[in-house]
Amino acid sequence: MIGLEVRNLFKSYFLHGKRIDVLRGVSLELAAGELVSLVGASGSGKSTFLHVIGLLDAPAAGEIRFNGRDLFEMSDPAVADFRNRTIGFVFQSHYLLPEFTALENVAMPALIQRWERGAAVRRARELLLRVGLEKRIDHRPGELSGGEAQRVALARALVLKPALLLADEPTGNLDPVTGEGIHQLLREVNRELGITAIVVTHNEALAESMPRRLRLLDGQVFPS
Amino acid sequence: MLLAAVAASAGRRGPELLEELSLSGIGWGALATLVKAVVTLYRGSAPTPLFPLPAARLWALAGGLWILGWILLGLSIRYLASPASAPSLAHGAPLYRKLARYRDFDWGTLLAYGGGVLASELTLILVHTALVTGVRFGKVLETKAEAWQVPPPIAFAISLLIGFAIAFASGFFGAARAKRLATPEATLGLLYLGLPIPLLLTALSANPEAQLRIGYRLREVSYLAGLLGRPELGYWLVYLGLALMMFLGITTGFVATGSGRMDLRSSFELFIARRHVSVFRPRLLLSVLAILLFGIIPPLIVYAIVRAAEAAVEQTRIRMVGLVDPLKATEAQHHWKMREQSPTAMMTTLSVGGVGVGVMALIIVLSVMSGFEADLQQKIIGTNAQVVVSKYADSFSEYREVMGRVRKVKGVVGETPFILNEVMISSGQNISGVIIKGIDPATVGNVTDLPKNILPGGSLDSLSHPEKIIPRPPANSGSPEQAPSAIRTERDPPAPQFQGIIIGRELAGSLHVNLGDRVDIISPLGGELGPQGPVPKSRPFRVAGIFYSGMYEYDAKFVYILLETAQKFFNMEGVSGVEVRVADVDDARRVAKVITEQLDGWPYRTRDWGEMNRNLFSALRLEKLVMGIILTIIVIVAGGLIVATVIMLVLEKRKEIAVLKALGVPDGGIVKIFLTEGLQIGIAGGLLGLLSGLSWCLLIEKIGIKLDPQVYYIPELPVKIEPLQTVIPVLIAVLVTYLASIYPALKASQVEPVEGLRSE
Repeated sequence: MIGLEVRNLFKSYFLHGKRIDVLRGVSLELAAGELVSLVGASGSGKSTFLHVIGLLDAPAAGEIRFNGRDLFEMSDPAVADFRNRTIGFVFQSHYLLPEFTALENVAMPALIQRWERGAAVRRARELLLRVGLEKRIDHRPGELSGGEAQRVALARALVLKPALLLADEPTGNLDPVTGEGIHQLLREVNRELGITAIVVTHNEALAESMPRRLRLLDGQVFPS
Repeated sequence: MLLAAVAASAGRRGPELLEELSLSGIGWGALATLVKAVVTLYRGSAPTPLFPLPAARLWALAGGLWILGWILLGLSIRYLASPASAPSLAHGAPLYRKLARYRDFDWGTLLAYGGGVLASELTLILVHTALVTGVRFGKVLETKAEAWQVPPPIAFAISLLIGFAIAFASGFFGAARAKRLATPEATLGLLYLGLPIPLLLTALSANPEAQLRIGYRLREVSYLAGLLGRPELGYWLVYLGLALMMFLGITTGFVATGSGRMDLRSSFELFIARRHVSVFRPRLLLSVLAILLFGIIPPLIVYAIVRAAEAAVEQTRIRMVGLVDPLKATEAQHHWKMREQSPTAMMTTLSVGGVGVGVMALIIVLSVMSGFEADLQQKIIGTNAQVVVSKYADSFSEYREVMGRVRKVKGVVGETPFILNEVMISSGQNISGVIIKGIDPATVGNVTDLPKNILPGGSLDSLSHPEKIIPRPPANSGSPEQAPSAIRTERDPPAPQFQGIIIGRELAGSLHVNLGDRVDIISPLGGELGPQGPVPKSRPFRVAGIFYSGMYEYDAKFVYILLETAQKFFNMEGVSGVEVRVADVDDARRVAKVITEQLDGWPYRTRDWGEMNRNLFSALRLEKLVMGIILTIIVIVAGGLIVATVIMLVLEKRKEIAVLKALGVPDGGIVKIFLTEGLQIGIAGGLLGLLSGLSWCLLIEKIGIKLDPQVYYIPELPVKIEPLQTVIPVLIAVLVTYLASIYPALKASQVEPVEGLRSE
């Protein structure tokens, strides 16, 4: 069954007034529940590709379908709702909200969904338990180590059981051992929850450990 | 439309008007028609054409001007030059759907906005007129008394509320429909469909003749606007109010539907906003309150001392800890440093303080001015009556019968006859011009506060019984060491008995007289013939009482004698008029009208206190309005501070905004978050201002600030706390902060998630 379907995606950005065509008609098909790694040189457009799929950035042209639904047909509020319910993001930097505790950060997507406070916190606690941070629940992001923060971010991405997980170099700022732990976690949740996941990474070794590997080169995606 | 209706009701020149109206339909034609209408109104009814052109040419001219205008407009838009280059790789690929679907205009929204503002204006006028002239529900109620009729101010308040509600609702639904702010539609709607009515009303008020001809249909509207002094100001204020309400409706509609469905809940947004600007911290609230109550310098000094002491204690503690365990000391130091405030927190405090100062100043000043007004009103009404019935011609000798008829009017609680004249009063070498009033001691207490104002020792009673007045010997007779009363009876003949007179305290002071002293009243009227021709009439009186009203003018200028004495003195059969007290002071105008009706009008006339002291009270009211406007400007300046604060917040939180968007917060949610943050500042500042303003008012009331009574009429700074006047500044503050937060909040919602995430 086809989960994610990307067709003929174009996207450019501007550097010093010059147009750089970073995605040149990217097409890609991902089965539901598939875990893929995406590698590529710096500036090759991996992050941009992920942002476009995650509806954080607008492409110049192209089509994306997820579970048969045309993502670009949606209205703005529907896009926000889609990002909330269906997509889980993990970024290179953890991007936790500094004013809130780890628990509140993880509960945030559920709160946006207007869950009742207690239910959201209960769910968040479960996930923090799952990523092994039950002792850090009431700490603020400033008091967490890089690996811990990234695990909180992963818990936040998973709190509403998304169908699509987009991880943008989640281990980029971490040492290899901690990074491997995060990847291990990614593989586990992929298996357990059946989430379709794209993991962008620089680390070739980590990329090798994924069931399917892709490479972004010259604005096109190739299997690697 | 209104113009057409009015013209149609005038019943002539229909086709001409139709042509004019259709001409006004095309762009600049409206302006031309408007100019023409104004000129016609100014020149009067003579149908002199403004443009000496036939209709067809006029049409052509208007059309040409219109097209020219659009060409000018089109030329002024700067188009970005797109460099000519070879087709890109994506040539022919389907455009990003959202861009392809972009629509720049929505007729439905235009209809909602424009129709809404027009409907609110028309409803306002119609409802107001209907309420004032009386509405009947169906045909069931036939008598006039049963028709529901309300006084103009209440009718205006009701219709204004209805108009506001309509404007708000149409803005709300327009924005909810378009799911965006739709500024072009709003501008077009407000300009094209909203402006004509206020313009028409302004043109009407500028031309008395037109006012006479068609103004009577809008009499109640213009009456109300006239209360402000400048009618057109009233119309435009109302128009601005409607536009503002529509703006509020639009933003609220946008915010409410920004998440795709009608969603007025904001628990999550509040959760976020409360962390961003934690306004409701005891420390912040207390410090702002201290600044509002004690000024800036003393709390700052206290704060500096407290901070310094705190720092010293903490440093010592850290050192003690460090002597045992150096690493623990670094931890403690870290926590100490974490307490440093961010600039935004400082700005927040400042904004709260700014709003608080504005609200406080508004409350204090309005309360003091209300106090002035109330005090003055009480004194004026206490000394003079609330309603005076007088007669145009002849002598008013049938006053007893008139009083009987007045008594029957509902709302009248007392009436008394009086005679008013101007005379000279003298005592020894001192002389003064005064207003003399003949009163009926039996009934005067029902109407004025005179009996209450008489100082101990004197009494109103002695007017009717002059024998009760104990004469006092002239100050220069007898030596001070002698006991006056015992010795006088033996030496002097008993002092002659005169009629009693009651004079004010200030007058007594300037005449150097006291109770029982003799004064002479001299009047040029009814002069007597002396050996060398007519001499002014003079009669001696004895001071029977001294009154103190607290109003300097009255205490220095009023004297009272018995009504019969006055009649004899001035050779009058009747009286000058009848003074009436009503149950409700603010209802005096209406009761006066009813009394006139009861007396069948001419030759009787009634005047209420507001009319008699119109200059004074309209000056006071104008002053109050101006002060209110000036102080509202302070609140608006504070609103500027809030704009700056929220913009700083938005800049500081760009990354967080991007993250929240990535987590699925819709644009409307972001707007809500930052609106809430601004509103928090406004509410905190408003409440603190309310608290400190009320405290200051109570302090002034309790302690009292002395004033020079000769300058200010009254001896002490009066304060009157009116609930409405204390609530309105807070509401203004909240409204201003809400409006001030809209722009930054919209800016926040426009942060692109990718930009925020990249800025690391």
